[in-house]
Amino acid sequence: MNLNRRFSLSPGRGMLVMSLWALGTAVAFPQEPDDDEDTREGRALYESHQCWQCHGYEGQGSVAGVRIAPTLYPYEAFAVLVRHTNLMPAYSPNVLSEAQLRQIYAFVLSIPEPPPLEEIPELDFD
Amino acid sequence: MPDEKSHPTMSEQGESASVNRREFLSSATVAGLAAASVGTADKAAAQQVASNESAPGALPPTALQEAMESDVPEGYSADQAREYFVRNPGSDFMVDMIKRLGLDYITTNPGSSFRGIHESIVNYGGNQAPELLTCVHEEQAAAMAHGYYKVTGRPLGVLCHGTVGLQHASMAVYNAWCDRTPMILLAGNHLDATERRAGVEWSHSAQDCVRVVRDYIKWDDTPFSLQHFAESMARAYRIAMTPPMGPVAVVIDGHLQEGEVGDHAHELLPVTPVQPPVGDEAAIAEAARWLVEAESPVIVADLMAHDQEGVERLVALAEALQAPVVNQYGRMNFPNTHYLSQGAGAVAQADVVLGLELFDTWGVINTLRDRVHRDAVRRVRPDARVISIGTSDLFTKSNYQSFQRYYPSDLAIAGDAQATLPILTDAVLSSMLRARRATNAERESRWRDAHAQARELALNDARYGWDASPVSTSRLYAELWNVVKDRDWALVSDDNMQSRWARRLWPIDRHYQYIGRAGGAGLGYGAPAAVGAALAHRAEGRMAVNVQRDGDMMYTPGAFWTAAYHGIPLLTVTHNNQGYHQEFMHLQRMAARRQRGIDGSSWVGNELRNPDIDLARIAGAMGVWSEGPITDPEDLGPALARAVEVVDGGEPAFVDVRCQPR
Ligand code: HEC
Repeated sequence: MNLNRRFSLSPGRGMLVMSLWALGTAVAFPQEPDDDEDTREGRALYESHQCWQCHGYEGQGSVAGVRIAPTLYPYEAFAVLVRHTNLMPAYSPNVLSEAQLRQIYAFVLSIPEPPPLEEIPELDFD
Repeated sequence: MPDEKSHPTMSEQGESASVNRREFLSSATVAGLAAASVGTADKAAAQQVASNESAPGALPPTALQEAMESDVPEGYSADQAREYFVRNPGSDFMVDMIKRLGLDYITTNPGSSFRGIHESIVNYGGNQAPELLTCVHEEQAAAMAHGYYKVTGRPLGVLCHGTVGLQHASMAVYNAWCDRTPMILLAGNHLDATERRAGVEWSHSAQDCVRVVRDYIKWDDTPFSLQHFAESMARAYRIAMTPPMGPVAVVIDGHLQEGEVGDHAHELLPVTPVQPPVGDEAAIAEAARWLVEAESPVIVADLMAHDQEGVERLVALAEALQAPVVNQYGRMNFPNTHYLSQGAGAVAQADVVLGLELFDTWGVINTLRDRVHRDAVRRVRPDARVISIGTSDLFTKSNYQSFQRYYPSDLAIAGDAQATLPILTDAVLSSMLRARRATNAERESRWRDAHAQARELALNDARYGWDASPVSTSRLYAELWNVVKDRDWALVSDDNMQSRWARRLWPIDRHYQYIGRAGGAGLGYGAPAAVGAALAHRAEGRMAVNVQRDGDMMYTPGAFWTAAYHGIPLLTVTHNNQGYHQEFMHLQRMAARRQRGIDGSSWVGNELRNPDIDLARIAGAMGVWSEGPITDPEDLGPALARAVEVVDGGEPAFVDVRCQPR
């Protein structure tokens, strides 16, 4: 899962994210996408604002940007990571409004788990 | 290595190609002519005869004149024969010398400034060892030599115009320079202005044609005589092949090629290889002490292994220390199947870092973040000591900055790392006390666990986006693996732009299975380097696999024609993301940094769509079996199976796949 992966954060930012995550766990975690229109809009924004360049069209990640879907982050943590970044270009509210970022988040939430390894014979390397 | 046995000079060879010459030799008057002959087995005797016969002054007829007088074709006067025919062209001698270098092939795009040697290679040399490979661009010709070398360890010749040809070739020469790859550029030119034909021959001549590439080759010369040519070729070979290796250039003057050899006895020189430089013994002993005493030594290798022997030497050192190896894959340095093969993160814990032929030592220890203020962050412990072994300090040039940022290693040893490794490993073993040796079991089990975990993580990561369209890059490599895994395969491209899925998924344990990167990151390397490497694998019956980026392919697509023309089996699969993807990200970064956003328009200047480029048709139009574009991942496996059948039949095959950006 996403949160298990080690990512490089400055100590301050890392703590901020983790406390937001803890908050999210306690309150509403993970949030289910409940609005299909938000999800659709979110995909369009994900594409037009080029998140796919580094994270892939399915949020699967690449050498240029880590995997972001499926995600366990609550929206608040997700937003911190998009706005206060380390290696990623920081998206300020002047570029992506809160409403837009929420829609992107809805889209990211809607991306399903891929099939398990046992169901992918091509990945049986033994 | 030069090999006179497998590459005999024509005069040492059997019948076929040298018939004219032999007839000429046998029908000529004996003593004087021998002086004009070149490279024969009885050269020494001939020279002696020549010197015995030599007389001062211009009064007696020269050997050549005598030969001409005595062998005038029917229906011609002697004067006419001299006007119309050349009996013993200088470029034949050049071919004899080139054969001494043991070049398997010469890649070329034909040109008038070297028509003399072109004819000599075909008729006199029999188009064998070296054989000419027809290329449709000099950039392609040079990049093919680049790929070929990295598989075989043998350089090729690249024959081109000194002017327009070298200008075309320059990008690929630069890549080879950055990637420390030798090749021998042979540049046609006409120096004597009074001999140039009007028009194009002037545009295709220069005072100093190599100047255009001199900043990124090791050495060049413009021979003034045939003997000078022989010496320069021998010297060029040695300089190119001595680490740090790199391209060299020799100008072949049109007048020297096309004219008579003349009266002088020319000597074909032996080409002796130079032993690579080895690091200083005392410094190596010191390095061994640091490594043995370290709690957490980490080895990082980049442009290190020249061949499988280099891989095995590194395994021996790593096992002696039970130290992890971070392979930066400039070459295939270390088997990724070995438990000591670890990710770059291992460096963070190191107290001693051993860098072997690093392209960028500073960049292993630090990272520079691409922010408004480009701040550097140290990646390794503050107390970590750094040992570097490599040849980069032995030779470099000033203008182009591929040498990277300066890093003051704590112990810097100049020497070829592969050549130095056995001495270092011996020093490590002999300075390792029993107590230290006893810790090896614990170290081994720690790294075995880490290796197993990384493997598990890689397989797990590969699932994400599995069913995506465009096709995910992990799926691309997984599907490819399934068609090559039961063969003797070799990847002839690098996987940097596909999220490194080859090295994360495929078991890579042979040196030839992975040949590193372009070097200078100049586009246009991919297709021709792959074809050059595939040619090398053809001789070994291996299945060569090229993952071809679309942007790169558009620079040098003609390489696929060469593959079809010369029957070079090669399985090409595109990583077609319909754009210059790296630049998308840069544009995005700029727009985000300036808070303007890009909102969809980052395609401007970056996309390769509208119209979409039909890469399969491009390859198909050049005689290569092709399919695609494939967008549904389910179609990929069956297409690859069909392509492999074609490659098994000895032909190139090409499958265009629309892929995720990375
Ligand atoms: C130029 C490449 C690039 C682009 C474009 C990009 N990202 Fe990122 N992203 C990264 C990188 C690299 C990271 C890794 C964290 C870091 O070092 O900043 C990251 C991290 C993240 C994370 C945190 C993931 C984690 O688990 O640490 C989220 C969430 C995220 N990005 C969302 C987005 C969204 C949403 C967009 C589009 C609005 C976007 N990114 C565009 C490169 C990119």
